[in-house]
Amino acid sequence: MAHIRPYLMKQILSDFGSAAVFEVTGLKKNYDDGNVQALRGVDLKIDQGEFVAITGPSGCGKSTLLQMLGALDSPNDGTLNYRGKSLPGLADLAAYRAKEIGIIFQAFHLLPTFTAVENVQLPMFESDRPASERKDQAISLLKAVGLEHRINHFPTKLSGGERQRVAIARSLANGPSVLLADEPTGNLDSENAHIILDLIIRLHREQNMTLVLVTHDLTIAARASRTIQMMDGRILSDNNATS
Amino acid sequence: MTFFTVIVRGLMRRPVRTGLTLVGISIGIAAVVALVGISRGFEQSWSKGMKARGTDIVVSNMGNALAPKPFNSSLRDSIVSLPKIAATCGLFVDLTSIESSSMTIVSAREWGGFAWQSLNLVSGRLPKDAMEPVVVLGQNAAEVLKKKLGDPIQIEAKELTVVGIVDGGALVENGSVILSLPLYQKISSNEGKINIIDIRATPGLNEEDIKKLCAEINVLIPEARAMPAGDNVGNSQAYKFISAMSWGTSLLAVIVGVLGVMNTMLMTVFERKQEICILLAIGWRRARIIRMVLLESALLGLLGGIGGVMIGSIGVKVLERMPAIHGLLEPDLSPRLMAISVAISVIVGVISGLYPAWRSSRLKPSLAMQG
Ligand SMILES: Nc1ncnc2c1ncn2[C@@H]1O[C@H](COP(=O)(O)OP(=O)(O)O)[C@@H](O)[C@H]1O
Ligand SMILES: [Mg+2]
Repeated sequence: MAHIRPYLMKQILSDFGSAAVFEVTGLKKNYDDGNVQALRGVDLKIDQGEFVAITGPSGCGKSTLLQMLGALDSPNDGTLNYRGKSLPGLADLAAYRAKEIGIIFQAFHLLPTFTAVENVQLPMFESDRPASERKDQAISLLKAVGLEHRINHFPTKLSGGERQRVAIARSLANGPSVLLADEPTGNLDSENAHIILDLIIRLHREQNMTLVLVTHDLTIAARASRTIQMMDGRILSDNNATS
Repeated sequence: MTFFTVIVRGLMRRPVRTGLTLVGISIGIAAVVALVGISRGFEQSWSKGMKARGTDIVVSNMGNALAPKPFNSSLRDSIVSLPKIAATCGLFVDLTSIESSSMTIVSAREWGGFAWQSLNLVSGRLPKDAMEPVVVLGQNAAEVLKKKLGDPIQIEAKELTVVGIVDGGALVENGSVILSLPLYQKISSNEGKINIIDIRATPGLNEEDIKKLCAEINVLIPEARAMPAGDNVGNSQAYKFISAMSWGTSLLAVIVGVLGVMNTMLMTVFERKQEICILLAIGWRRARIIRMVLLESALLGLLGGIGGVMIGSIGVKVLERMPAIHGLLEPDLSPRLMAISVAISVIVGVISGLYPAWRSSRLKPSLAMQG
């Protein structure tokens, strides 16, 4: 996967300079017309290559924060910058989701009507690479997550651990510089959870990808270089606060 | 994997539902093909019949009935002297039930008129004189009525004899019971009446001249209308009614098709809500989601259209062979009609997909996280 790097670094430098990956101030997010305040003013700065674990009790706003970082939804208040540019203000959010970030979900969220290798190719439609190149790239990504023997299997024929590996390969499809993971091992037994976590951390190190991982499991959080604890839509503690 | 694979997978995820939807559109399009094909075939076979009789202009009063209204045969005398008319032939053409057949064309022709000349005897003979109580049958009419030479045939209250079988060179002619005009006028109590004047123009006239001649005739005979042979049927009220009915029924069938496809596409979009959100979350543009839904429904339309053209064509062929209408029907199943039908079906597909596509493109990518 060495070929992803130069393309990636070039894009980072040209598009977004050398600012922090994420710079968040006073971020608020409400649901149900303000009846639910999921984020009540979050301040946060994440630098390139960091591995940040976000922990906290269920319902404290971890997933909501990750959705804001991934531009899956827009905040109600505050600023949210990605490499120095306002993320909600980006003209092409789809391109940001497709190329800048890779996202991994607790429930894997593979598409059931596509095989492993096809699922990995889905995000690549947003790049202009020809079909054969997309397929080769998907196969090499599946090899990188140790699934070369499951390339043409449909998700229902794969174990939980295997499905999450396909999802990880999919998140890397367009060579992102940031990996966002929401409880990626939450649906796995402890043995598979270990394998998946090791894989994610290995990819983060090998490619110097920024990794933001949401978990309520403190043993997982312990492996991060930095742990942010949330409570009631706010940050309670940050063991490496840079902001 | 190409984008087309994505489209096909979308349709294949519920093969039974997709299949039923296809059957639905196919039946709608089959109705279009059959009804329009039959009504256009009807129009064309009438004008072919006129041409086979050697007719350039038809004078008749196509009212609201299937057969034209009778008028006095003396009206003909007022036009025979027009310079560009080579010959005229008075006819009384009726659509009636004869014995077991519910709809038979009875074509009574002026004795000695040119309309007799185009008939080629297959067997037997033509009538000997104007009042001989006999008929000749077109080949198809003989088959449908199950008559052979020498058989009696009941026309109005009178029993006549079949003396000849003819090939008239066109479906309408071959489906007709042909007899002498004075004989028919007598047995049907229509003495002195005709309802059609066939006119043969002097050779060498072009379409424009024929139209001018029609206009001249219309001044002289206000009771009826003169029209170039090809236009005659298309302008009749009855044909217009049949044509409007067939397009109207087709439109209904198409609307049912639209609702069917739209329902299917709404269901598929609804049940794939989360998948669509996942696609948005991994970077698909809304335009691509719209394109996916529209292409899926367009493909449904295309396949349904092809199926419909096949079902419609086979259905019409079966209908054509049914004894009750055999020999009356020469459907126009032209490649053009088939192409139009498939195109209609694809358009139906696209239109049906618009609302579901719009709905799906408004989903929020964050919904992917839920469930
Ligand atoms: N789409 C939504 N609509 C309404 N309320 C929501 C929505 N998403 C999250 N919430 C609420 O926002 C709060 C934070 O949720 P979430 O970020 O999912 O918490 P966590 O991931 O830490 O468990 C919860 O009270 C949750 O019920
Ligand atoms: Mg959560």
